[in-house]
Amino acid sequence: MQPDFLKGIRFADFTWAGAGPFSTKLFSDFGAEILKIEGVSRPDPVRVGGPFKDGVYGINRSGYFASRNTGKRSVAINLKNGQSRETLYDIIRQSDVISNNFGPGAMERLGFGYEDVKAIKPDIIYLAMPMYGEDGPLANLLGVGMTISAVTGLMWQTGYEGEGPIGPGTHFPDHAANPYHAAFAVMAALRYKRATGKGMKIDLSQVESTINCMGLAYVEHAVTGVERERLGNRSPHFAPHNIFRCAGEDEWCAITVLKDSQWAALCEVIGDRELASDPTLATAKGRLAQIERVEAAVAAWTAARDPVSVMQALQARGVPAGLVASCRYLMDEDPQLRHRGYWQTVDHPEIGEARFTSPPFLLDGERVSLKRPPLIGEHTEEVLAEVLGYAPERISALRAEGVLE
Amino acid sequence: MSQVRPYGGTRIIDLTRELGLYAARLFADLGAEVIRIEPPQGGPDRPVPAATGGSEQATATGVQFAFLNLNKKSIVIDRKTPSGRAVFEDLVASAQIVICEPGPDEPDLVAELIAVPGHRVVTVVSYFGTDGPYSGFTGSDLVVQALGGIAYLSGEPGRTPLALPARQSLFVTSLYTAAATAIALWDSERSGGSHVLDISAQECIAHSLQNAVQVYDLENRILARGGEGIRDATESAFTCKDGYVFLAAPLALSASWSGLLKWMEEEGFDGLARLREPDWADRPTRAQAPMRAEFRALFERFIADKTKAELGAEALRRKIVMAPVSRIADLHTDPQLVFRRYFQKVAMPGLGREVSFPGAPYRLSEPVWRIDRGAPALGEHDEDILGRASSKIAHR
Repeated sequence: MQPDFLKGIRFADFTWAGAGPFSTKLFSDFGAEILKIEGVSRPDPVRVGGPFKDGVYGINRSGYFASRNTGKRSVAINLKNGQSRETLYDIIRQSDVISNNFGPGAMERLGFGYEDVKAIKPDIIYLAMPMYGEDGPLANLLGVGMTISAVTGLMWQTGYEGEGPIGPGTHFPDHAANPYHAAFAVMAALRYKRATGKGMKIDLSQVESTINCMGLAYVEHAVTGVERERLGNRSPHFAPHNIFRCAGEDEWCAITVLKDSQWAALCEVIGDRELASDPTLATAKGRLAQIERVEAAVAAWTAARDPVSVMQALQARGVPAGLVASCRYLMDEDPQLRHRGYWQTVDHPEIGEARFTSPPFLLDGERVSLKRPPLIGEHTEEVLAEVLGYAPERISALRAEGVLE
Repeated sequence: MSQVRPYGGTRIIDLTRELGLYAARLFADLGAEVIRIEPPQGGPDRPVPAATGGSEQATATGVQFAFLNLNKKSIVIDRKTPSGRAVFEDLVASAQIVICEPGPDEPDLVAELIAVPGHRVVTVVSYFGTDGPYSGFTGSDLVVQALGGIAYLSGEPGRTPLALPARQSLFVTSLYTAAATAIALWDSERSGGSHVLDISAQECIAHSLQNAVQVYDLENRILARGGEGIRDATESAFTCKDGYVFLAAPLALSASWSGLLKWMEEEGFDGLARLREPDWADRPTRAQAPMRAEFRALFERFIADKTKAELGAEALRRKIVMAPVSRIADLHTDPQLVFRRYFQKVAMPGLGREVSFPGAPYRLSEPVWRIDRGAPALGEHDEDILGRASSKIAHR
C-alpha cells in the first residue's frame, strides 16, 4: 500500500548525508511532499559516496542516496548563488516544515535562520539537527556519526573485554537514534500546530538525542557511581550469553540463557549430562563464576555445527539463539524476512531494479510500498510551476542566472 | 495545566515489556496520559537489575525501570478475572493508542484489543513480527542484534562479532515504534479509522545498517566488521596520553585531512613526509589493512603526549573531525552538555535522593516537553484512573 496519511504536508528539506534525509524519508513514505533542495555543484555527499550500481559512479546511481530518499521530489538550486534566496523563500512560504542538518550558523549565513524564516512564514516548523546543538562551547566541533558515538559513551562501551574501545562498525546514531527522534518531534510539532496554529523550532542536538539511547548506562552510573566495564557480548547477569563460532567460514551464533530453565534445556540439547547435573551451575550466579568452563562447553558444541542448526535446535527448546546474519544472509536467505515481504524492489531509471528495506513494520497487515528516489533536479521545473506558480519565462531566467542547476 | 501539549488529551495504554518501553515514554514526555496496566505482581520490567556491579547488586534494581517509565502512570488489573477483563476493555475503549508486547501466554491479546469498539491505533511490538517462521522464537537483545545484521558489522576482522551496548535493540525498536505510531494516530484522528502496526525488532535493526544493504545489492560486496577495504585508515579510535580519541580524516573530508597534515607540519612531526606520499592520495589504498596499521602507529606516536582535552581543542581550532572517546562517567562534565543544561534531576523515592537523568532528546521552542513525575509505583494511579474509567471497582 502507498499510504497518504500525511498528504498535504510539505517540507522544504535542506537535509543531506545520512541522518537528516533518513528522517524526512519517513514522511515521504507516508505521503507527505518532500521537496529536497539540493545542488549539482555541491551535491549531497551520499550521492557521490556510493555504493553505485555495478560499482560505476554516477550522481544518480548511488544506492546509499536511493535508500534515504524514496518518494522525494528533487529541486536543484544553487544555495551559494545569492539570487536563489527569493525562490527558496517562495518554497518555504508554501511549506509546513523546513529541515536541515547543517552545522550551527550555516542556515543563518544563507538567510534561512529560524528568525528569517519565521518572518516570512510565521507558523513554520523548523527542524535543525546539528551534531552538538546550536549553541555552546563545542557547538562548532565537526563530526560524523562515529564522532557522536565517541562523545556519548557508545564507542567506549563497544569493544572486547579487557581491551580498548572499538565502537559500532557503522555511523550508528545516524541510522535510528537521530532520524527517528527527529521524525517523532516533527509529528509532535505538527499536532501542536494543528491545535494552536503555532509553529516551533526543534533544535535536535544529535549528541543529546543519542545519549537518551545510552540512558540505561547513564542512569545506572548516576545511581551506583560504577561504570560497567566492557564485557564484549557477555552479560553481568546471565551466562552463557555470548556469540559462538560455528562450523564454516566466519559463521557465528548468539546464545543467551536468561533463565535457569533455559540452561537445563541447553544442556539437554548439547547432550552434556555432566553440566546438567552439576548443582554449582544451576543458577546464573554459579554459571557466571565458572564462565570459562560454561562457554567452552557451548563453544565445543557449536564449533562442529552450522549456525542455522544451532539456532533451530536451541530455539526448539525455548533458548534464545540467533545466527549472526550478514547482509547477504538477510537479503538472500533469512526465511523470516522473506516470509514477511521485507525486501522490496523499486525500479529506477538509472539504477534499474534494486532491493530496499521496507519500513520495519506491517501497517494493517501490509507493507508500505516505496516510491522511487528522484534523479537530481528531476522536479525542479514542475515544482516551480505547480507549487510556486512561476511562468516558464521566469524559470528560464532563473536557469540562465545559475539559480537552478 | 492550561498549556497545550502535542499529546495532551491523548490516552495511551502501555502493555510493553521491553522493546516498546521507550516509545511509550516519548509520548508521555509530550503530554500523553500513558497508563501501564500491570498484573498484581507488577510488570516484568520492574525487577530488572542494573548492569553495573554484578548480579548481587539488588540496590540498583529499578534503575532501568525509572528511566524507561518516567512520566507514566500505573494501575493494577488482574486480566485473568472477568471483572478485571471488563475494566481492561473499558480502558482500551477510552484510549487512542495501545502499545503492546504480547507474551507467550497471551496469544489472543491482539485480537481482543482489535475487537474493542471505537477507533484507535493498536501497535504490536515483538522481536520478529507476529507471523512467519521466527514468530515463535524467543528473543533477546543480543539475539536480535545478531539476526538483525548489526553484530556482523562490529568488531575486528577474524574475531567474534560484537553487539552494541546498553540494549540498543530496545531503543532502535522503540524509536521506529514511536514515529510510526504517531503517524498512524494522525491518520486515525483525521479519517476516523483504526490502524494496526506490527513492528519487528529484527526489521528495525536491519533497517539501520547504514549502506550495507545497498553495497551487497548493487556491488555484490558483503560489508563485514572492521571496515576492511571500506573505512579509511584514519577513521578509528586511537590511544592518546590519557585515553582515546576518535579521528576521521578521509580524503572525502578534505578539510579534516589537510588540517591534520598542517598541524603535523607546524609541530615538525617526522611522520608527515610518509603521509604525503602518493599512496595516501588514493582512497581505496587507504582503506587496506597495512595502511590502517601504519597510520595507527604513526598517529598514536603523534598524539602520545597529548591529552583528550588538548586534542579536542585542536579539533575545534583546526576543523579536524576528532573528538574524545568519552566514558559514561565523563558525560556529566562534558562542557557542551553542561553549558546547555542538558541533564535533569529526577527524584527516585526508592533511593531517597535525586538522580541525574538524560534530558530531552530534542529542544523545542515551545515549552511542551517536561518531566512531570518519576516512574510510577505499582498501582499508584488506581484511584485516579479507575474512578474515571469504570464503576466496576472489584477488578482485582
